[in-house]
Amino acid sequence: MATVSGGMFALMLPLVVYLLAGFLFAPDEIKLEATRHLNAERVLPHSEVQVTVTITNRGSYLEEVLVEDVLPADLKIASGLNRHLIRLPKGSSCAFTYTVTGPRGGYGFEKVRARVNDHLGVTSREVAIEAKGQLFVFPPVMRLRRVAIRPRRTRVYAGTIPARAGGSGTDFFGVREYQPGDPPRAINWRASAHTLNELYANEYQQERVADVGIVLDGRLRTNEFALGHSLFEYSVQAAAAIADALLTQGNRVGLLVYAMFLRWTVPGYGKVQRERILHSLAHARPGGSEVFSNLGNLPTQLFPPESQIILVSPLLAEDLLPLVQMRAQGYQVLAVSPDPVKFELSYLKKDQSVILASRVIQLERRLLLQKVQRAGIQVLDWDVSEPFDQVVMRRLSRPPARLRAVGR
Amino acid sequence: MVLSILTGIVSLAYGYSQEGLADPARWIVLMGIVWLLAHWRRYYWFSSVALLLMIFAAAYGVWREFPAVWMILGTLGGLLGWDLSDFAMRLRYAAPTDDVEGMERRHLARVGIVAALGLGLAYLSAVVQFRRLTFEVAVGLILLTALGLTRLVMRLRRY
Repeated sequence: MATVSGGMFALMLPLVVYLLAGFLFAPDEIKLEATRHLNAERVLPHSEVQVTVTITNRGSYLEEVLVEDVLPADLKIASGLNRHLIRLPKGSSCAFTYTVTGPRGGYGFEKVRARVNDHLGVTSREVAIEAKGQLFVFPPVMRLRRVAIRPRRTRVYAGTIPARAGGSGTDFFGVREYQPGDPPRAINWRASAHTLNELYANEYQQERVADVGIVLDGRLRTNEFALGHSLFEYSVQAAAAIADALLTQGNRVGLLVYAMFLRWTVPGYGKVQRERILHSLAHARPGGSEVFSNLGNLPTQLFPPESQIILVSPLLAEDLLPLVQMRAQGYQVLAVSPDPVKFELSYLKKDQSVILASRVIQLERRLLLQKVQRAGIQVLDWDVSEPFDQVVMRRLSRPPARLRAVGR
Repeated sequence: MVLSILTGIVSLAYGYSQEGLADPARWIVLMGIVWLLAHWRRYYWFSSVALLLMIFAAAYGVWREFPAVWMILGTLGGLLGWDLSDFAMRLRYAAPTDDVEGMERRHLARVGIVAALGLGLAYLSAVVQFRRLTFEVAVGLILLTALGLTRLVMRLRRY
C-alpha cells in the first residue's frame, strides 16, 4: 500500500487543521500568581467572612482559565462562588469575592486550582497556585462577672482569689494584736475593750492570683448522643467563658483538652494566653481513644500542686474515683457539668417510656453528683437550656462582702 | 451546536442513502438523535463517541468511494458539534458574573475560522485532484490522526 486516496486526504484535512490550531495556540508557559485576602481572620461561629482571591497572569495569554479556590472542609459558601471561568491576558489580574461561613474550628486555605485550556480546548493543563490564608472561628466567649474559686495555694502576686492568709484585703480574716504601723481604722475596738492594756486589730484576707487548670472533657462517649447531637459545643463555651473570666482576674490559666489525645496549653497570664486558649478551643474536637477513655489517665502532674482544677465534663459514673483522687492529691476541684440527661431529653420524643427512663438516669446522675460533692468537690450542674453566665452568676459568684459579713 | 450536528448527520446520511445504503443512513440519523438527546441530558461524554463514529462512518464512505463532499461535511459537522459540546460543558463551570458571552463569541469566531480553513483546504485538495498520496505523506497524516484520536480517548477517560 504505497499510496492513499485523495478523498481520504481531504477528509483528514479539517481534523488536522483543528488539531494543529489547538496545539499552535496552546499557552507557552503558565505562570499564575494568586493572593488571598480575608476581611476577618477571627470570627464567631457561622459569621460570614469575605474571601477575595486575585489571580495574576505573569505568563503568556490565557484564553480560558477555570479557577477554583479550594475550600477547607466544613466551610460553606454563603454567597458568591469560589469557581470562575476567566480570560487572562498577559500581565492582567482578575479578582473574585465570595463569603464563607463555618462552625468553630481553625481553617487553613492552601491553594487555588487553575485549569488552563487553549483556544479550542484541545490541550488542558491543571496547576495549583499557592495562596495561603487562615481563618479561626472561635467559640463565643460569654462575659462572666466573677468565678469564685478557692485553691489551697495561691501565687505571690496580688489578685482576687482569697489566699487563706491574713493581710491587706477586703474580706475579714481574723483579729490579732495591734502592731505598730497598723492603721488606726484597723483597730477592733470591741475586742480591745475586753482587755486593759492591749489593742487588737482586724486582719483581712489577702487576695492573690492563683494557678488554674481547666480540663475540657472531649471524650466521645461523654459528649456524643443519638442523632448526631453533641454536648461538646456547650462544654467548649463554658471552658472559654471560665478561662476568659479567670484571666481577666489576673490568674494564671492553663487548658488541657482531654479527648482522643491530650492538647495542653501551658499556663500563662493575660491577653496572649487568652488567645492561646481560644486557639486551642477552636481546634478542639471530641474524640475517642482507649487510653483516654476514662479520667484515670488525666496527667494531674501538669498542674501545680494544690492549685485549682476546673473540670468541664458531663461526667460518667466511673469518673468519681479519679475526681476523688485529684482531691486527695490536694487539688481544689470544681466540676462544671453540662447536664446530658436534660440535653438528650430536649430533642427526644417525650413518650412515657422516655420520660421514665430519663427520670431513672436523672436520679443516677443526681446520686453521682452528690457523691462528688461529698468528696469535697464543688459541682456546677448546668442545664444547657439556661445561659451559662446566668448559672455562674447564681452559683459561682461570691456573694458581696456585706452578705458574707452577716453570714449568708 | 445543534446546527453543526444536524449538518454533519444529514450530510453523512444523505451520502450513504445516495449510494443506496438506507439502513446505515437510518442508523446515522438515529445516532444524531441520540447525540442531541445526550446533549440535552448533559451526557457530554457521548459527543466524543459520536465524533469517533462519524469519522469512522465518513472514512468508510470515502473508502467505498461515496461522494467525498458529503463525507467531509459530515466529519466537519461532527467535529464542530463535538467542539461546541465540549465548550458548553466547560461553560457550565462559569459563574453568572463571568464574561460567558464574550467567551462564546470568541470561541465561535475561532472555531468558524478553523472550520472554514479546514473546509477550504479540503476543497482545494479536491480541486487540485490529489488522486494518490505518497506513502510518507500518508504515514504523516495517519500519525496526526492517531494523535488526535489519542487525545480524544484521553478526554473521554477524563469524563
